[in-house]
Amino acid sequence: MKAKRRIADPFDALGNQYRRDIVELLARKPHSVQEIADQLPISRPAVSRHLSVLNRAGLVSDEQVGARRLYRLDEPGAEAARRYLAQVWGNVGVRFKLFAENTRPRKRSRGPRELTALRTAGPRSSRGS
Amino acid sequence: MIEPLRISFEVACPPDHAFETWTERASAWWPPQHTMSHQPGAEIVFEPRPGGRIFERTPQGEEFEWGEIVRWDPPRGLSYRWHIATDPANATEVEIVFREMPGSTTRIEIEHGGWDRLGEIGQAWRDANRAGWDGVLPPYAEAARS
Repeated sequence: MKAKRRIADPFDALGNQYRRDIVELLARKPHSVQEIADQLPISRPAVSRHLSVLNRAGLVSDEQVGARRLYRLDEPGAEAARRYLAQVWGNVGVRFKLFAENTRPRKRSRGPRELTALRTAGPRSSRGS
Repeated sequence: MIEPLRISFEVACPPDHAFETWTERASAWWPPQHTMSHQPGAEIVFEPRPGGRIFERTPQGEEFEWGEIVRWDPPRGLSYRWHIATDPANATEVEIVFREMPGSTTRIEIEHGGWDRLGEIGQAWRDANRAGWDGVLPPYAEAARS
């Protein structure tokens, strides 16, 4: 495998649906660029660009086999599990970020209801005073 | 030694909201394909204390253990032993830090380690995972054996 030119963050690398799809294909068996392009709705150059990002993130390596260059997720056992979990964390991070940034804290959203309850209770206490 | 997996990213919300979203509302955002039941509507529970369980409960009430809380320090962070789809003895370790940043932003730093222990018992782990991570890891495990 070639020396890594620049290390890419695995989270960034997996923050793209096509790259996650590619990792899933490579988890089954090594593929050439053409074989990946045949299974995804993107062009060969696009597949190559995604593979380059995955390679810099340390998720994918390549190897010349005869006339073909094959891309794989390499290293067995625990390393395989670690790489797989990198993909899981990528999915988790993307979904968490989307949800957290588009929801409001419960304590604050509870505020207006509590105020309403206080207002509802208000007249009785104001009559009492 | 196998390096821990380190992932970090920023989220545009304060740490207390990030912590609460992670630990109390995981059911709403956790990728359904990464649950053990693969059932829509499964509830994900973090019991909020050291020693607390992390588990998934299906709408039918079936429970699947995911792990156990080790450190519980809201909103700064938490750590847990993670044994989703495997035996608790084969747990890996997850630490999540919610770091307050300027501008009401949180930097989330995830470190997932303990892979070396997994290496010694990798075979058992992979077999156990056949049930849990169907579709993705099993073919990978086969490739690793061949």
